[in-house]
This record gives sequence, structure tokens and C-alpha cells, in this order.
Amino acid sequence: MIEVTGLTKRYGNFTAVRDLSFAVRPGEVLGLVGPNGAGKTTTLRCLAGIIPATAGTARIAGHDIAADPVAAKRALAFFPDEPRLFDYLTVRQHLAFVARIYGVAHHETLAQPLLEELEIADKADQLPGELSRGMKQKLAIACGLLHAPAVMFFDEPLTGLDPLGIRRMKDSILQRARAGATIVLSSHLLHLLEEVCSHVLILKQGEKIADGTLAEVSARFSNGETNVSLEEIFIRATGGTES
Amino acid sequence: MIGALLYLRLTSLQNLLQSRLRRLKQPKYLVGAIVGAAYFWFFVFRRVLPTTGVRGAPPELQALPLMFIAVPVIIVGAKRVIEAWIAPDDKPGLAFTEAEVAFLFPAPLTRRMLVHYKLLGTQFTILISSLFFALLASRWVMLGGNFLTHAVGFWVMFSTLNLHTTGAAFTVTRLIDGGVSKLRRQIGVIGAIVLFLAVAAYAAWRTAPPPTPAESANPLAFFRYAAGLTDQGVLYWLALPFKLVLGPLLARDWVEFARALAPALLLLAAHYVWVVRAETSFEEASIALAEKRTALIAAMKEGKYRLGTAKAKARREPFRLAPAGGRPEFAFLWKNLLSTSAFFRPRTALIIAGLIIAGCAWLSAQPAHHTKLAVVGGLAVMMAAYTLFLGPQFARQDLRSDLSHADILKSYPLHGWQVLLGEILAPTAILSTLLWLALLAAALAFQPRSLDWLTPQLRAAILVGVALIVPILCALQLLVPNAAVVLFPGWMHATRHRGERGIEMLGQRLIFVAGQFLVIVLALLPAALAAAAIIFLTQWLIGPAAAVGAAALAVLVILLAEVGCGLWWLGGRFERFDLSAELRP
Repeated sequence: MIEVTGLTKRYGNFTAVRDLSFAVRPGEVLGLVGPNGAGKTTTLRCLAGIIPATAGTARIAGHDIAADPVAAKRALAFFPDEPRLFDYLTVRQHLAFVARIYGVAHHETLAQPLLEELEIADKADQLPGELSRGMKQKLAIACGLLHAPAVMFFDEPLTGLDPLGIRRMKDSILQRARAGATIVLSSHLLHLLEEVCSHVLILKQGEKIADGTLAEVSARFSNGETNVSLEEIFIRATGGTES
Repeated sequence: MIGALLYLRLTSLQNLLQSRLRRLKQPKYLVGAIVGAAYFWFFVFRRVLPTTGVRGAPPELQALPLMFIAVPVIIVGAKRVIEAWIAPDDKPGLAFTEAEVAFLFPAPLTRRMLVHYKLLGTQFTILISSLFFALLASRWVMLGGNFLTHAVGFWVMFSTLNLHTTGAAFTVTRLIDGGVSKLRRQIGVIGAIVLFLAVAAYAAWRTAPPPTPAESANPLAFFRYAAGLTDQGVLYWLALPFKLVLGPLLARDWVEFARALAPALLLLAAHYVWVVRAETSFEEASIALAEKRTALIAAMKEGKYRLGTAKAKARREPFRLAPAGGRPEFAFLWKNLLSTSAFFRPRTALIIAGLIIAGCAWLSAQPAHHTKLAVVGGLAVMMAAYTLFLGPQFARQDLRSDLSHADILKSYPLHGWQVLLGEILAPTAILSTLLWLALLAAALAFQPRSLDWLTPQLRAAILVGVALIVPILCALQLLVPNAAVVLFPGWMHATRHRGERGIEMLGQRLIFVAGQFLVIVLALLPAALAAAAIIFLTQWLIGPAAAVGAAALAVLVILLAEVGCGLWWLGGRFERFDLSAELRP
């Protein structure tokens, strides 16, 4: 469960995110969408406790990320757009490291099925430098899933993936949501939202333009027309410009 | 077409200079530029500028220019030339940037034009290098000539070397295209070198008289004798190309310079003809080289490229990391030790300790070797001082290397101080081990016979006390650069890039080193005062050895408190730290 109230992030005089409020329940997948510079990544980074919010609160699985960051972070996993891996740790050593950080007991028994599910079990002794972009992404996901997080944040999860990788990533997100995880993802790819997200939140210049289920948001911007594409809805919602 | 390429070169250069000047509007670059310029003025140029002018070297130093300038130059130049012929596994190619590859390779340009473009680009670097070295050389008493002859001399030397390595790259490419394997090429080149040396040695043996005892005993006299051998016979012809290249640089006056310049330029022209006439397909190799360079620059900018860091390969774990139940900080120690060379493992330290003990015991047992024991002690103390003061600049397996992972580190369920503590553990362990080994060597080698007051008990107390303090002292040293990463990430982000150049970057680095020294002195002051007070007040009551022990404990407690406070405060800053905000222009 994610509960966000009045979330604001300022950099000096510039407001990246303004008074944002929303909630995501277990099993739901919320898509953060908006033009470049709308504040999607900043929002995700605030929710994951990577940067402090200037104002407002965010509760992750019942824990306030500002007041009790350690408890909140135990319940979440953050997946950046680029897999950030340690150059000198093999796939297996990455999992051993993350297991120690999160205090995951018997991680070997958890890691092996995870590696097999993500189809990187045969790469267990390889370094990131020896892996393809897709394999690196899979390793980052395996590291994030090892502690069975209840809440997951994906920042542009399909960046750099090939068609097969995209399909698997979408399946993986849906599978975790069906298992009861609360998921927020940011993406420019509107077809991803249509296929994966149960809810959508449109941001522009750091402010919420609309949120709700896909049907609710479509209804709001379709002006009574039928068969309006999500792309058209997005353009109407954001006014077709970045600023 | 050459006009367009020249435009690209000159415009790029102009824009580079403009951007360098523009960034001086930022205080950190301006202050850096002032400090860098002051450094160059006081330590380099001020010493060299007043003494320019034509002069001859004193007669007794006639052979010195060749000895001190020619020998290193020949060694470095020969190494580059031999590498150019032997080293490449694949086609060497020419060094273009990815942008140059993207724009110039599909453009309607001949290979020869691309080669000219490349040569034009390297000329800029060569000209700057020649001027810089000429400035330095104006102070070298042993070198005759003046600033201008030196500048031209260095230009001839660097240009010839550059053309030769380029020509070698083309020839190697042609050999590879012709199916000549690397082994055959190496055998051919090494065979030629061996033949060259054998002919030279034979010629010297046949024609030259052996050196006199005086010449054998004196390195300068021996060098003068060796240089004289190349004035006649076969050796003259063998050494001629090198003498021609170095001739303008080593000329003692204008007449000698004029005589040396013409043949040197002829040799340069011959190299130029060789390069531009070599119709070799270098494009494919150049694309691969450009991609490699881009990856290297990206690694530098992310701070992933470190001097002395071994190539990434899977390594044996330094110790077994139990997944649960242990402190998470040790996971950072484990991870960061994995990023170091396999040399930095406990087993290696134990082996070295054993060797030190055995070596010192053997030297102690031989009265004739006591002087060598003193030398070992002196070297150990020097190494300890070097490790303590400069070690933190080299052992960077901490937040400085992990800054690009800041987002991931901050998403871990850990307090900021835990991340920072974990990050400094690996370099602390490495530096402490090195210092302990140096201390061991110093303690075993230092055997005072005349200092009666330095009893074995007092020496043991000093040794144990210092050994106890070492890890926390290293941690304190390492806390400073890591604090700089958290407090001034923009500054550190710029200074740690090896790709960043310029006088302002040098100045910034100097400021940082001075700042670190000041912080450490201030941090050590309370501990030093407390230790002095305890020794002064208690040695009469409990004896010197116990007083030293008590003082060491006091120092340990004070430093622990300082490091603890530092970690706690910086941890809070790390939790609020936002790299993307700090790096906003």
C-alpha cells in the first residue's frame, strides 16, 4: 500500500513536484505518465526514499518514508531506468550482497529459482561487463525481488530492452501485481500503460492533471467520443506541450 | 575539403577555449584557476623564465645532455615504436572520436584527407607539448640552445614519433590483411631488434677500445665513452636515425641547430610521405577504437576508471559473507574488497609479515648486515608515512567509487551512517594492513644500542599503541574525502574525473589536498594534546611504558569519538543528499 499526501519537491526556486496526493492499493499497478520534466522520476525517487521530499508525506506499507525510512525501505524495491550494478561482483555475488543488506536468510534457496525464472541462472558466475543490457536488467530485477518487496517502483522499466525482454518485463510486473504487490511505474510508452497498468496518474510540470483507472481517465478527456486512444487522451490532458 | 576539416578543427578548438573561459564564472573553477596558475608560476615558470638565452654547456658537462635527455627520450620513444609494431592484436586503426566517425566516414572524403585531418589534430597537441617542454628545458643547464631551438627540437621529435607510430599502424594493418599472424610479426620485429643490437655490439667490440677503468667507474665518463662509439663505423649508421631526430633539440647554438635541422626535417618528410602514401583500410579498426575510447571516457566521467585497478574479472571472495545475522556494513567491506586486486587479501598480508619477520631475524643475526637493517627500518618508516598521508588518495574503494550508485545505496534499508561506515571499511582495512606491516618492519629493524631510556617495554608499548591507533587514524583520513563527496558532490564530481583537464582542475585538486591536510591536523590536535598531557603527568607515577599505553588509549577514544560524530553527522547529510540536485548547473 502506498499513500501519498501533499508530496512536494523543490530545488531552490524550481518546483519539480507540487502537492501530489494519491494512493495505490496491493495488486494495483499505477502508471506515472507525463511529458519530459513532468516530475515522474523525482516522484519515484521521493517515494523510494532516495531523495527527501520538501513537504508532504508518503507511507510505504504503513511506514512513513521520512520518519521511519529503514522500515519503509525494507518493504520496497526501486528499479532505475538503467541497471546500476557493481562492476566487480558476479551475478551470484550481487545476490549475496543484497541478501546481507536486507537480512535475507537462506538466500541461496530463494536466489536459484529467481535466477531460473529470469533465465540468468547460467550466468551466475559472470560479471556485469560480460552481460547484455537485457541480462543486466534481469540481474537488477533479481536483486530487487530477492527480499520479496511488497511495494515496487519501476522507472522507465522498458528502456533498452528488446521485444522479448519487453514482453517478459510486462509479464513479470503483472505477475507480481497478481501476487499482491503494489507497483508504481513511470513510462513514456503509452502502450505499456494500456497493457500493464490498472491505474494511471498524469503529471505535467510537477502537478497532477488526472488520476484514476484507465477507464476513468479516458472518460474524463474523451469529451463523449468513443474509441479515443490513450495517446490522444495523453495529448489532450497535457495540452500537447512539455511546458 | 581540407578547408572544411580545418574549420572543424579550429572551431572545435575555439569553442573548447571559450567553454573553459565561460566556466570561470563559477567560483569553484575561478578559484581553481587562480590556485593552478599560482602553482605553475611559483613552481615551474618563475624558475625557468629568467634564464632563457643562448649559452653553451660547461665543458665538463658536455655529455650530460645526451645522458639525461637523450637516454630517457630514446627509451620512451623506442618503447612506443616497438609497441606500435608488436603490440596490436588486431588492426590498430587511427584514433577518431565517435562524432568524427559518424560525420567524416560517410562524407565524400578520401582516406588521404582523413589521414591529413588526423595529422592536423595531433599537431595541436604536439605544438602545446613542445612549447611546454621547451619552457621546462630552458632551465636545464646541461642543455645548450635556447627556447626556440628547444621548441623546434621537441616539435621535430614528437612529430617524427607520431608519424612513425601512425605509419607503423598502417603497415601492421596491411600485414594483418595479408595474413601475417601476430606471432610472425613479433618474431620479425624482435628478430630485427636483436640483429640491430648484435651488429652494434659486434661493431663496438671490433672497432672500439674497451673503456678505461676511470670510464668504467664513472657513469658520466662511461656515457661519454659510449656516445663516442656512435661517431664512427657501423655504429654511426645504426645510431644515425636517432641522432638525426634528436639533433635540433641537442644543438648547443644556432649554427649547430641549422646544421641539424635540415636532415631532421628530411627524415620527418620521409615519414610523412610513408604515412600519406599508405593506402590502408583503417576505417573498421578506427570505429572499434572510437567505441573503446568513448567507453573509457564514460567510465572516467562516472569515476569508474581508477589508476591501478585491475581489469574487471570474477575474483575469489575475500571472506565468506553470511547472508543474515551479521552487520550489513561488512557487506560493503566484502563488496569493496572484491573490487580490489587479489593481492589485498589476509593471506597475502600474513605471507608478507612472515617474510618481514624472517628477513629481519636473518639480518639481525649477522653483525655485518646491521647497516642494511637500519636501511630496512628507514624504508619502513618512509612507507608508513607515505601510506598514511597519500594512501587515502589512492585507496578509493569507498563512496568516491560508488557515487554513481548513490540512488541504489540510498534505497537500501540502512541509515546513512551505516552506508558511510560500510563504504570506508575496505580502504581502512587495506591501509591499516599496509601500515601494520610497515610498523612490524620498523619495529624489528629499529634496534637502538645507545638509547638506554628506550627500553624493550617502552618500545612494545609504543608499537602496540600505534598499532591500535592505526585503523581509526586511517578511518579518520578516509572520512575527509568521503565527507567531501557528500558535502561538495559537484566539486568532487569534477575533480575526480580523469577526463577533466585544465589549470582550473589542477587548482581544485590542490585546494582539496590542502583542505584535507588542514582538517586532519585540526582533528588530531585534541588527541595529540591529550596524549602529551597524559604522558607528561603520569610517567613519573606509572612509568613511561604504562604512560604511553594510557596515552594511546586516550588518543584511541578521542579519535573514535571524532570518527563516530563524523559518521553520524555525515550520515544525516547523506540521507538528505541528492546528487542530481547538486550537479544542476
